[in-house]
Amino acid sequence: MLTQASHKALVCIQCGKCTGSCPESGKTLFNIRMLVRKKQFQAVVEESLPWYCTSCGACTIRCPRDVKPSEIIIEMRSALIENGSVPLALQKALENTFVQKNPWGRSRNKRAAWTEKLDFEVPHISATESKRLLFVCCIQAYDPRCMVIPVNVAKILNKGGIEFGILGEEEACCGNEIRRVGEFGLFEELQEENIANFKEYGVKEIIALSPHCMNVLKKEYGDLGIKVSHYTELLAPMIKEGSIVPKGSYNKKVIYHDPCFLGKQNGVFDQPREILKSVEGLDFLEFSRSRENSMCCEGGGGRMFFEVETMYQRNAEVRAQEAVDKGAEVIATSCPFCVMTLEDPATEKGILVRELSEILTEVL
Amino acid sequence: MKTGIFICHCGHNIKHTVDVKKLSEYFKTFPNVTVSQDYVFVCSEPGQDMIKDAIEKEGLDRVIIASCTPSLHGPMFKDVLRKSNLNPFLLRRVSIREHCAWVGNDVEANTEKAKRLILAGLYSSAHHVPLEEKIVDVKKSALVVGGGVSGLSAAIFLSKMGMQVHLVEKKSELGGHVRTLKGVWPAGRDGKSIVEDMVRELEGRENVEIFTSTTITNFEGFFGNYEVTLNTPQGEKKLTVGGAVLAIGFSPFDPSIKPELHYGKDERIITTLEFENNSNTLQLPEKPRVAILHCVGSRDEQIGKVYCSRVCCVNALRVGNALKDNYKDSYVESFYMDVRAHPKGGEEFFEDTQEKGVLFTRANVGEIVPTPTGVIIRGEDTLFGETFEREFDLVVLSIGMSSPEDCKLIANTFKIALDKDNFFMEAHIKLRPFDTAVKGIFIAGTCSGPKDVEESINHGRASAVKLFGLLNLGYTYVDPFISYVDPKRCSGCRMCEHACFSNAIKYDEEKRVVHVEEAACMGCGLCNATCPSSAISLRGYIDPMIDDEISGFTEAI
Repeated sequence: MLTQASHKALVCIQCGKCTGSCPESGKTLFNIRMLVRKKQFQAVVEESLPWYCTSCGACTIRCPRDVKPSEIIIEMRSALIENGSVPLALQKALENTFVQKNPWGRSRNKRAAWTEKLDFEVPHISATESKRLLFVCCIQAYDPRCMVIPVNVAKILNKGGIEFGILGEEEACCGNEIRRVGEFGLFEELQEENIANFKEYGVKEIIALSPHCMNVLKKEYGDLGIKVSHYTELLAPMIKEGSIVPKGSYNKKVIYHDPCFLGKQNGVFDQPREILKSVEGLDFLEFSRSRENSMCCEGGGGRMFFEVETMYQRNAEVRAQEAVDKGAEVIATSCPFCVMTLEDPATEKGILVRELSEILTEVL
Repeated sequence: MKTGIFICHCGHNIKHTVDVKKLSEYFKTFPNVTVSQDYVFVCSEPGQDMIKDAIEKEGLDRVIIASCTPSLHGPMFKDVLRKSNLNPFLLRRVSIREHCAWVGNDVEANTEKAKRLILAGLYSSAHHVPLEEKIVDVKKSALVVGGGVSGLSAAIFLSKMGMQVHLVEKKSELGGHVRTLKGVWPAGRDGKSIVEDMVRELEGRENVEIFTSTTITNFEGFFGNYEVTLNTPQGEKKLTVGGAVLAIGFSPFDPSIKPELHYGKDERIITTLEFENNSNTLQLPEKPRVAILHCVGSRDEQIGKVYCSRVCCVNALRVGNALKDNYKDSYVESFYMDVRAHPKGGEEFFEDTQEKGVLFTRANVGEIVPTPTGVIIRGEDTLFGETFEREFDLVVLSIGMSSPEDCKLIANTFKIALDKDNFFMEAHIKLRPFDTAVKGIFIAGTCSGPKDVEESINHGRASAVKLFGLLNLGYTYVDPFISYVDPKRCSGCRMCEHACFSNAIKYDEEKRVVHVEEAACMGCGLCNATCPSSAISLRGYIDPMIDDEISGFTEAI
């Protein structure tokens, strides 16, 4: 799981593939190749630098020597955390996660509050036959903007006759971001708590609403013998087979933004596209940098919880501008982080940001 | 039984950690041991004479040599026995150097272990019997698979040395990849004329038969007499050959599996091979901006190709050089990790390309983004330590060599091994680079790893000479370690038939028992281990021999 050998700094050939792929290098002081070089020589790294990484994974996916530079960043952050050199806002988020099991510090027993917006009961996982768990995610359980996502997905699944349950207040933060900011101890605690629940309730399948949760549950929780998927992986075939039929039409130009944790890190490119293309009237557009080459929105790697030092043009702004230039009216995506980072610049430019389930709910 | 035991000091190698004197004294007490002696170098000439003398004077009928590993000096010690008119299979080698003296420094423990090893050898040597090596005729005819420059060179050499050659090419035309090249570095000669010269040289020869549009459907038998089945446009054809040279070449790397390069999605992004073949028809502006990317499909763990393809740096230099020749005002930038212009004249060519104005930027490009006005390259100039985004009219990907598409099929047909990159594996990368583990099957050219044209031609010639050396002898020794069946015990279950991978087990429908075709048996012993009735034994390795050897290791002494 989390071992010191999660990267191979010594075999780096300093080719610059990582820097050339990095959404932060160039426009900020962050140079990922240089940090790997420093790691090789155990040289001093300026403390603000490791916090720029958005953990989009492009460096690790493309590195010709499989050095895993993003893992080196996590290790550097971990060392900073041990020394107490943590951005203040991040420290707060970590404390919150420790106490309330969510980075916002909202009360743990309000975690299932979103279900009140439904006109049907969502059972606790223990009361289900299928033992199919909807893993909600902290952002979507509490954030007023994103709370609508689990509501929508629950409605869609219910309509499609899919049985599922939730852990409710027993669900703890998945820890994907916690591990990426380098708080290994807290990550392990969260992981243990969630695994204990999965085992106790005999969970057989997990449907994650956030690509970040899916990523960590699938790849960093060890082999639990549980099938983990993103909800779009479930919905796309259901639409194809006709168990969910989008009836209305959505007469808008929609451009799709691939979330890093769904797309490049987990290879889910086609399902979200299939879902959007199944909607009548929807005019589907692509960014010039899409799929494996999608531009990171800069919401990941803990960056949701704190601001970095340099001021520069946000990628979300570049993204929104391209969407406008291409004539899009809506940016569609399927990740709460992307929704939150893209929404500000998009609203400024007069276009909408919609999570897939929001579009789907409108036409069902 | 009269056994002679000879214990070697190997200078200090063995003596240093094994009490050799104590050993030779110990074995003198055994009733069947006539001679027990230690000596400084048993493999030296006086050492060999010592054995010969003992055989002749004492009338030894078993010889045990406790020394280095049996694979070293094996044929030499066998010869010592032959010269003394003793069957060489009455020799027993015991390794007390690699298996004992070199393992630890505890003299007492080592001596004790050496004693056990020799005792096991002594017990099992009682079961040794004189065996005769069979001599089999070798067919002076060779199969060459692949009609590229390697295969053509091999065929020409074999033919000139007087071997009957059957050259098989899957495509309709001979010449392989080289035929498609407009100019072959360093002389710049047209690839087509190079191969056509070679083909002409071959076509005029009486002892050469060329099969194009032909595949190999079966290959079986043993060295000296391999049976080949070909699928030719005229139908099936069978041949008997003594051995074969495999020269099936490579596949050019397909860059479309690297999504960040956008290859195949935009016609402004091409490979070096496409540049080579279409440079006349390329539509470029008067002052073209061209990017050349090195190491595409090489030195990249993410696509499982860790190796350097060795030819692509010079290919990239050729593209840059040619562009500067044809477009004086072009902007040509080459993105590299390292420039490995290793062939003779390569470094000079690199310098010449720089002088012509091609700029070299040390960057492994992050990604390529096609836009309507041009193709944007994003990367980091690792020497400046600064990232860049630059626009080009054309991007040329210098692609590497991948293993040939038929590698698995051909490897299965000829029962040879593939290396981790799916190229054919050499018997020894330094000492036997043309040999495979199968006798009489040689490999040549890029099918064993990336090579340039010159190396491929030389590789073909070298394999031809190696194969000629084996075939020209006209005969071969067959190891006498072959299986034999006791028909009284055989139940006819035919399990051995499935275990055997050299097709040596034949079933007799009438008698309902199997027998071993001696010429095909490779002596691997799989059938022995499979037989539920213990009806098959391996000559020279019978069960009681192994039982007694184990007793030697374990019994109380």
